[in-house]
Amino acid sequence: MTERVKNLLAILKSGEYKKTRTESCADISDIVKEYSDGEKDSLSLKIMLESESLNAFRGDRIGFNRKQIYHPKYTYTNGKAANASGPNNITPDYAFALNNGFDSIKETVIKKITNCEEEKRPFYNGVLTAIDGVLEYADRCREDAKAKGIDDLYKALCHIPHKKAETYYEACVFMKFLIYTMRCNRNHHVTLGRFDQYMKPFFDNDVKRGVTHDELLEITEEFFISLNFDTDIYVGVQQGDNGQSMVLGGYDLDGNDMFNELSEICMKASMELKIIDPKINLRVSQKTPIERLEFATEMTKLGLGFPQYCNDDIVVPGLIGLGYRPEDAVNYTVAACWEFIIPGKAYDIVNIASFNFPAAVETAVNNGLLTSDTYEDFFEKVKSAIIDRCNGIIEYCNSKKFQYSPYFSLFVGSCLEKGLDIADAGADYNNFGVHGAGISTAADSLAAIKKVIFDEKSVSKEELLEALKSDFEGYGELRNRLLSCPKMGNNDGYVDNIACDLMEVFSSYLNGKPNSRDGIFRAGTGSAMEYILSARRVGATADGRKNGQPYGSSFSPSPNSQLDGPLSVIQSFTKFDLKKIINGGPLTMEVHDTVFRNSDGIKKTAQLVKAFIDLGGHQLQLNSINRDVLLDAEAHPENHKNLIVRVWGWSGYFIELDEPYRKHIISRTEHKY
Amino acid sequence: MAEALVFSIEEFSTFDGPGIRTTVFLKGCPLRCEWCHNPEGQSYENEVIKTQYGCTNCGECLKSAEKTDSGYVYSEKSILACPNRLLRPAGRLYIPQALVDELSKNINLLNKSGGGVTFSGGEPLSHPEFLIDTLKLLDNKTNRAIQTSGFCSNEIFKAVLENVDYVLFDIKLVDDKQHIKYTGVSNRSILQNLETLVKSGKDFVIRTPLIPTVTDTVQNLSEIALLLDGFNIREIDLLPYNKVAGGKYAAVGREFKPSFDETKPPHPHTEIFERYDIKVNIL
Repeated sequence: MTERVKNLLAILKSGEYKKTRTESCADISDIVKEYSDGEKDSLSLKIMLESESLNAFRGDRIGFNRKQIYHPKYTYTNGKAANASGPNNITPDYAFALNNGFDSIKETVIKKITNCEEEKRPFYNGVLTAIDGVLEYADRCREDAKAKGIDDLYKALCHIPHKKAETYYEACVFMKFLIYTMRCNRNHHVTLGRFDQYMKPFFDNDVKRGVTHDELLEITEEFFISLNFDTDIYVGVQQGDNGQSMVLGGYDLDGNDMFNELSEICMKASMELKIIDPKINLRVSQKTPIERLEFATEMTKLGLGFPQYCNDDIVVPGLIGLGYRPEDAVNYTVAACWEFIIPGKAYDIVNIASFNFPAAVETAVNNGLLTSDTYEDFFEKVKSAIIDRCNGIIEYCNSKKFQYSPYFSLFVGSCLEKGLDIADAGADYNNFGVHGAGISTAADSLAAIKKVIFDEKSVSKEELLEALKSDFEGYGELRNRLLSCPKMGNNDGYVDNIACDLMEVFSSYLNGKPNSRDGIFRAGTGSAMEYILSARRVGATADGRKNGQPYGSSFSPSPNSQLDGPLSVIQSFTKFDLKKIINGGPLTMEVHDTVFRNSDGIKKTAQLVKAFIDLGGHQLQLNSINRDVLLDAEAHPENHKNLIVRVWGWSGYFIELDEPYRKHIISRTEHKY
Repeated sequence: MAEALVFSIEEFSTFDGPGIRTTVFLKGCPLRCEWCHNPEGQSYENEVIKTQYGCTNCGECLKSAEKTDSGYVYSEKSILACPNRLLRPAGRLYIPQALVDELSKNINLLNKSGGGVTFSGGEPLSHPEFLIDTLKLLDNKTNRAIQTSGFCSNEIFKAVLENVDYVLFDIKLVDDKQHIKYTGVSNRSILQNLETLVKSGKDFVIRTPLIPTVTDTVQNLSEIALLLDGFNIREIDLLPYNKVAGGKYAAVGREFKPSFDETKPPHPHTEIFERYDIKVNIL
C-alpha cells in the first residue's frame, strides 16, 4: 500500500472530512413549479451542483465528494415532496459516458430536441438541463483543482467529462463524477456492475503506455476509497446498504473466461483496503479454476463478507428462460445486493415486492387444515394461498407509478434514442422482481404438519391450531416435538422436496406474468430485510418458530434448526432447479474464521464453494463468522442454533458452550481485523 | 452385531485429515485427560445432556430428573419436556451399516475434494469390532482415517490399521508417570502402537495438544522431538490449548477443574523441533 493510499484511508477512517459538509437545503419550489417532473429533477440537480465545489481531501486525486447533505426541496405534480429516493437499484451504462464524453452526448441530445415530437421535448429538455448542470460543475471543479494544485485531477478534467476518457486514471475520475452526479440526482443504490469489463480498454491503454502494475493498483485503491467517503449520507435500510456492488469475471457467449488482470487488481485492492465498498461479487462456473476460488477464499477469510459468488451455469440460462436475449444474459450483473440485472439496458424493479412463504402457509393452516383429509389435500390449500398472495402482489405492483429521472435515463438502454424516460418504460427491459422470503420456515412447517398430523397422526389438527394460536404457551412438549421434525438444510428429502414444491408453485405461477410496463414478473429467492420485517407479521409456525421470530436470511436454513453441517446445507439448497427462480437471493453460510488458520483451510473452503457450483447453486454468500453475529447470538441464542464455532482442534455449537467460554470466543474476535 | 454410540457427526471438519472430511465421534474413552474438551465422549453409557444456553429456567426438564449430589441426572422424559428442545441423548446408537448409510449422503462431495471420513472420539479404538466392520464397509468408497490416542492392545491396533488409509496419532506426554497423572493411563501401549504405525508404511501425522505447564514444557517437547527423530518422523501438528476446552462440562452436569493454570498461554517451542529438522504445523 502506497503512502498516498494510506493517507486517504486514514482520512476515511478519521471521519474528519464530514465536518466540511453543510446541512442547509434550498427550497426551489417556485423555480421548478412550471416544469414537468423530470425537468424538475434535472433543475434540482443543476441547482444543487451550483452550490457544490470541488470537495477533494488532502492527497485525494479523485474528488467529487458531497458538501451538501440534502437535496433541494420541491414537490412533484402529484403534490408529493421530492425525497432522497429517486430511481435506484440498477447498473447504468457507464461505458456510454466513458467512451463518448458529454460533449458528443450533448450534441446528440440537441439534435433530438430539434427534430423530436412535441411530447418528447420535456424529456430531452430534462436531459439537456442535467448535462449542462454537470458540465458547468465539472468546469468549475477543473479550475478549483488548478487553484488547489491538484495537478493530476486538473489535467484529467481538461479532458473529461467533456471528452471521452483516455487513461485508466481519467476513467476512474469520470466514474466517480458519474456516481456523484447520479447521487445528486437522487439516484441511489447505483451499482458499479462489471467494472473489470468496461474499464478494461482504459486499463489496457495504460499497460501499453508502460504504466506499472503498482501504479494501476494504487489508482484502483484511490477510487475504491473514494467510493466510501459519502456512504453515510446515502439512502439505505442500514449504513452500508448503499448498493455499491462490483461484479468481476464471468463467461461470454462462447464460454471464454472474462476474468482478467484488472479483475485481479480489484480483488487485491479490496483485500488490502478491507473497507465495505465496493462489495465484490465474483462470477463463476464449473469451469472456474480452483486456484481462483482459493484466491477468493483469502478474501472471505478477511471477514468482510466478500466475495459473493454468482454461478453463470445457472444464472445465464435462467435469464434466457425469462426472455432476456442471450447476449444480454451473459452480461448480467447484480443490482445492489444480489438481484440479477442487465447493466445499461434494464430498468427492472428487481425488489418491487417480497413474497412471504410462511404467511401463505399460515393462511392455509388457519383456513384449510381442519378440512383437509390428507397432506395432498392440505397442500392444495397452500397452493391456493400462494397463488392468492401472488395475485395480490401482481395487482399491487401493477398499480405503482414510477418516478421520472431524465439524467439517469441517459444511461439506460435506448431511452435517449426513443425519447422515453425510464419511468415511461424507455429501458430495454422493464421487469418486476419479487423476493421469496422464508422458504425454509415454510417448508419446515409443512414437513412438521405432514409428519405429526398426516403421517404419524400423533397430534390432532385442533391441538396444533390451539398451540400455534397460543404461541406454544402451555404446549412445550408439542413444540419440542415440532422442533425435532425434519428441517431444510440437512439434505433430507422429506422436507427438501416440500421446499421444491413450494418454489415450483411460486415461481411457475409468477414467472412471465405480464406487468404494467410491457415486462414480466420474475420470482426469486432473496429476502432483503424481509426475513425480519415480514417475519414479524407471521404468528407461531408449525416448525416450532415462535410468533414474530425471524426467518433465515434470503435462501438459508431457518435459525430454528439444528444442522448437520455445510455439506448437507448446500445439497438441500440445490435440489430445486434454481434456473427457474432466478431473480436472485443467495444461500448464506457462515464459517468460523479459525477454519482459515492454515492454507489447508483455504483450500477446503474453496472446495466447498466448488461443490456448491457443481451442484447447481445459483448464488452463495460465504461469511467468516464475525463479532456482531456472536454478540447477537449471545443476546438471542434461540436464533443462532446453527452457529458453529471452531474452538481448538474441534468445533462446537456456540450456544452449547457455557457463558465464560462464549464470552471468551467473543473476546477473541475483538482484535481480529 | 457390533454397535456403538456416536456422540457427534461433524461435517466439513477441516483439521482431521486430507480434504473435506466428515468426522464421526465414537462415545467412550479409556483416558481421562484433564484438558478433555469432549466430556460427553468419555462415558460408554448414554447420558442425557442439556445445552444451558437458551434455557429459560421453566423447570419442565427437572420434573422428571433425578437429583444427585453432583447435580441433576435427566431422564428420557426430560428430553421431551423441554419447550426449547435443549436436551438430547449424548449419543445415538448405530450399527455399522446404518452409520455408513448416513455417511453416504455426502460421500461424493468428500471424495471430489480428496477427503473422506475420520473416526474420532472418545477413543475410536475402544470400539474395535464396530470400527473395523464400519471401515470395511467403507473400503474402496472413501478415504478412511482415525484420530486416536493410540491407547489399545497392539493386536487391535494392527487389525484396525489394516483397514485405514490415514492416522492422526496423539503423543501427549513421553514421561509415563506424567502420562498416568494427567490422562489416567500408561503410555506404554501407545508408544508400542506408534512403532507399529511407523513400520506399517501408512500415511499418518503426529499431534500433540499443547497444554500449558503440562505438555508444553521444554522437557516434554524435547522428549517428543527425540522420539520422532528416532522414528525419522519429520513433521508434527501442535494444537494449542484454548480456554474454551471446558465449555461443555455443564451440559453433562459436571464441573471442569483442571489442575494446571489454563490462563497461561501455551508455548509451542518450535525451536526444539527445528533442531531436529521436524516441521511444525500449529493448528
